[in-house]
Amino acid sequence: MQWSVIFKKELLENWRNFKWIWVPIVFILFGIMDPITTYYMPKIIDAVGGLPEGAQINIPQPPPEQALLMSINEYSSLGVLMIVLITMGIISGEKKSGVAELILSRPVSFTNYITAKWASSILLILVSFITGMMFSWYYVNLLFGDLSLSQVFGAIFIYGFWLILVVSITMLISTLFKIPGLVGFISVLIVIFIHMLTSIFRHILTYSPANLSSYVSAYLYTGEMTADMWSTIFVTLIGIVLLLTSSIFILRNREI
Amino acid sequence: MLEELMQINWSLIAPIIVIQLILMIVAIIDLVRIEETNGPKWLWAIIIVFVNVLGPILYFILGRRQ
Repeated sequence: MQWSVIFKKELLENWRNFKWIWVPIVFILFGIMDPITTYYMPKIIDAVGGLPEGAQINIPQPPPEQALLMSINEYSSLGVLMIVLITMGIISGEKKSGVAELILSRPVSFTNYITAKWASSILLILVSFITGMMFSWYYVNLLFGDLSLSQVFGAIFIYGFWLILVVSITMLISTLFKIPGLVGFISVLIVIFIHMLTSIFRHILTYSPANLSSYVSAYLYTGEMTADMWSTIFVTLIGIVLLLTSSIFILRNREI
Repeated sequence: MLEELMQINWSLIAPIIVIQLILMIVAIIDLVRIEETNGPKWLWAIIIVFVNVLGPILYFILGRRQ
């Protein structure tokens, strides 16, 4: 009851500041940028010139799986940055403007407040991500060859957990600090740190959430979900729950 | 000129043009309705209209004041 009121308030707010329009569009752009530029690369090189007369350029066109992976890579860099920028003000902004004080002075439970806000931003990010991937799939089919829809949905399913984890990390940092800019900076640093740790200790941290992107490529090529993938997804889920509970705990034990 | 226009693969380009238009219109509507922005309003209007794709996105991220 109370939860749905906060949830609806968040959805309405995201609608009023047009997030429901521009965030999906930005994700669509991220998704289609790489397939299109890769496809036109020979023409672009031709137009820019600078090559000696009669030079032959042969750039092999990637298979459709790899073209889709380019979009995923785009999401793991620019997309993650975008998610952090969108979510960094989620609690710190309300603390700063005093809205959080106003809401939490009423008998609203901290759990409802955090989870409703989390759910609304997850909904926005996932809808944007799925539309972006659909557009990417459209272009990959058009330019590089057939790729089945079920494969794309598998990729979305696996990679979606990583995006949810990024939202949860940003949310936790957002309960800790008041300045949105600082929250964004620290969240990006943490994400980079997780990537670095995973690539350094690759042989030990096989279930690290940062491996989800490499599992996406494995899935796209083989079309099978391995036990390692499920374990990694499970670890990611545990991480998300831990991040959420600590956000609730921190908010409860801190005066605003 | 017309021949060149016909040669463009419209199924590739049309979605991008539509996206650019939607972004621009939404950003302009928001700019008109909002009371205050970070920085002068007329500057944002120029950025939204003349900077392709990136302009409206920059406005939504940086220009809006909560």
